[in-house]
Parts: sequence; C-alpha cells; structure tokens
Amino acid sequence: MKLINELYNYREMIFSLVRRDLKGRYKGSVLGFLWTFLNPLFQLGIYTLVFSVILDGGVEDYYMFLFVALVPWIFFSTSVLGGATCIWDQQDLVKKIYFPREVLPISFVLSQLINMILSMLVVFAFLVFSGRGINWVAMLCLPVVIIDELLLSLSMAMIVSGITVYLRDIQYILNIIVMGWQFMTPVLYGIDRVPKELMPVFMLNPMTPVIIAYRDIFYYKKVPELQTLFHGSAMGIAVLLIGIFIFSRLKRRFAEVL
Amino acid sequence: MSKKYVIEVSHISKHFRVFKDKGYTLKDIVLFKARRTYEERQVIKDISFKVRKGEAVGLIGKNGCGKSTTLKLLTRIMYPDSGIINIKGRVSSLLELGAGFHPDMSGRHNIYINAAIFGLTRKEIDLRLDSIIKFSELEEFIDNPVRTYSSGMYMRLAFAVAINVDADVLLIDEILAVGDMSFQAKCFNRLKEIKAKGVTIVIVSHSLSQIEEICDRSIWIKDGIVEMEGTPEKVHEEYKKYMMNN
Repeated sequence: MKLINELYNYREMIFSLVRRDLKGRYKGSVLGFLWTFLNPLFQLGIYTLVFSVILDGGVEDYYMFLFVALVPWIFFSTSVLGGATCIWDQQDLVKKIYFPREVLPISFVLSQLINMILSMLVVFAFLVFSGRGINWVAMLCLPVVIIDELLLSLSMAMIVSGITVYLRDIQYILNIIVMGWQFMTPVLYGIDRVPKELMPVFMLNPMTPVIIAYRDIFYYKKVPELQTLFHGSAMGIAVLLIGIFIFSRLKRRFAEVL
Repeated sequence: MSKKYVIEVSHISKHFRVFKDKGYTLKDIVLFKARRTYEERQVIKDISFKVRKGEAVGLIGKNGCGKSTTLKLLTRIMYPDSGIINIKGRVSSLLELGAGFHPDMSGRHNIYINAAIFGLTRKEIDLRLDSIIKFSELEEFIDNPVRTYSSGMYMRLAFAVAINVDADVLLIDEILAVGDMSFQAKCFNRLKEIKAKGVTIVIVSHSLSQIEEICDRSIWIKDGIVEMEGTPEKVHEEYKKYMMNN
C-alpha cells in the first residue's frame, strides 16, 4: 500500500521516462515516429507473403492467426529481454539518488505497452480493410487481457532486472529461455494442437491464457471464455505479487552492488 | 515515534563487502570463487541520534569515518544491516546534483526531468519553474541545451532545482561549493531561509565554519560510532584538538 502511494507520487518521473524512451527511439530518423506503424505493417506484409503464398499450412489466413498472437508476444518478450538491463543502464541514477526503484521497470514496460497498442492499431486497420471484420463485443474484453499481460510483463521485468544487477549473465541466458518460452506458448500454433500430456505445462504458463484470449478476440472474433479470462487474471495477479516480493528483496543492495 | 522528532536513527550498523576482484558473470562466480574474496568492512558500528523539526545538524569526522554513508542511509539509497531509521515527510537530498540531466535537452526541459526524479508532479514543477529559473540566474540561457552550459551554470541549475523541492528534510553532502562567491552566498542565505521555515537539515561537511554558521548541533563520528555530540563550538573545539594530535 505504501509502495503504491509512493509510486503515485513519482508518477511524473514515470511519465517523463516513458516520454523520453518513446521520443528517443526513432530520433534522427527521417520518418521518425511513423516507424512505429511501418515496422509492424512490413512484418505483417512479410508474413502474408510467406504464409499464404509459400507455406500454406492449412490454417485459414495463417498470417493473421500468427500476427494477432505475435504482437502481444513481442510486447512480453521485449519487456523481459530489454527490461533485464533497465536498472543496470540507469546505474548512475540508482547509485546517487533515491527514488522508488520500481519506477524503472514500470516505465520501461509502459513504453513497450504503448508500442504494442500502436501495433494493434495496424492490426485493427488490417482487419477492417481485409474484410475480416471486428467483433465489437469481444473487443470489450481486450482491456482485461491487456492488463493481464501488462501485470505479467511487469513482474517478469522486475524480477529479471533485479537479478541482472547481481548477475550479468542472466540477460544471455534469457535469450534462450524466452525463445523456449515462446514455443511453449500457443503463439505459432493453436492450443488445440497441444498434446494432452503437455497440457498441464501449458496451463501453468501464465502467457497461455493471454495469447488464447487475444486470438479469440481478433482472429476468431468471439468473446473469450470466462474461464480463460479468469485464468489469465489470476495468474497475472499471482505473478505480480511474486515479482513485487522478489524485487523488494533485491533492491536493497542495488546501490552497493552496482 | 514521538512527535517532536523528524529524524530518528537508532543503533544502525552497516558493513560493506570490499571485493578484491569482483566478477559479475556466471563464469566468474562459479569457476573463480576464490578470486571473489572480499573483506567485510564495518563502516558504521552503532550510531544513534535524533533530530527535531526545524533543527540543523552537522555531521563531522575524518575521511572514511562513516558520515557520508550515514547520509546515504538517511536518503534510502542504501539500507542499514541492523537498526532503524525513521524519517517523517518528504526528503530531498543534495548529494548528487544534476542527476538525470540530459545534455541535449534545454535547461527548461531538464528542470522537469530532474524535479520529477525528486518526486514532484508536473503541477508542482509548473508552480516552481519561475523561482527555479530565477534562482539559477540562467534566464537568458534556459532554452539552450545543457551541453552548452559551463560547469558553473550546470551546477547552478542543479542546485536551484534541488533547493526548490520544498522538502521537509534536506540532506546535504559537501556541496556548498557551487558557482562563484556571490552564488555561494546566495545558496547559503537560501539554506537559512529554508531552515527558518521549519525544514530540518542534515549537513555533512569538512568546513567547520559553514556548520557553525548554520547548524544548531554537531555530531562527530569517529570509526563508525558517535564520538561526541553538542553545540558546534564545543564539539569542533574537541575535534580540532583531536585532529591536531593525529
């Protein structure tokens, strides 16, 4: 409770870090912020080409099937991989001045979230123009799913950024872990393709219900099952509590170790 | 915690691990465990003191005695191994000026970034902007990028932000050497004004005369414990005697 209150007081710091990150990202490029839209658009173009012309794999509009899961997955994986160094990168600040350390992972993940939402606008546009259409009732569930994923990304970013301060190797190990994690999440394929024996593993993976829900909303144009939403939210909250606890232990020695 | 005291430090201790050769990688940690030998150095053994609201306290002692570490513990950059520190209200520290300054951005923009790091909201910064700029005497240059500033201008801007935070507790480490003589005098007067408003101040300094001028009380820290505590004149007299003999 005290933490929330303190973070609220430091909201301007969070906003200013997010702004700096978003502004800085495409600084010096001619098209600037437009790249935020162009990147996913080109990606989608490539998937369309590959999966509808070359690799026609039996799933209808596979490029769309993949893309609606890949956009949220990229948000999660960047939060974990990029977030790992968010405290290390700001060590001058951490060593010299007090502020709630949670500010750093929070602002990193928030700027990734904004990027994902902008990519989703591309998805929206594509769904409308390709004639697939949008189910507006299902869309109402989208905020819940986004918040679940935000909680997951945030707690993972807190945990890995805290560990990275003590053990630099973690960021290289993470590349492999995140890659494996992607294959253990129904991103490239549907949950119906998972063999029964592996199902418990998938159900313990907090990203599984999130990806299923995104795909339900965008691809199948249906309201996600209540069970999926509940599963995702419960996991999100549980992982967040773990993340806050671990981070609160790790942060005490940041200034000494860095 | 009693009402009278804004800062209560009771029986804190802190030791550091001084690594001879520190490894950050897994290889270093697993394979070369022997290389990661460190010695435990106890910087603070047992320090307790209390500071009343509106009081100014100076911490003195020779280099490495633990006074700067005490200040860092007060700001919560570090945590004590044992003991309790209680501080009431918003704390602003003038330990490191200009934290988070961005050289390519204008002075005005940097005021916002720097003040945000002190935990001010946008509204609060808007309210203080004019007095910060006025205090820094950088009116003409405020929209130029900070990289074009001289080091004196840089410090003036940073000091102006830190001093305008309106904290309840102000922690200062050896930084009243900002800018030219007239700016220093201005900073000093500003500190007195702030103190008169009821802000509690803790200063670490080697300049005994500065402490005598502004502080009500001096605490002499020696080898991680409080050696003596009392009015600056009395403590400084003993401290000077001790320093002469060593």
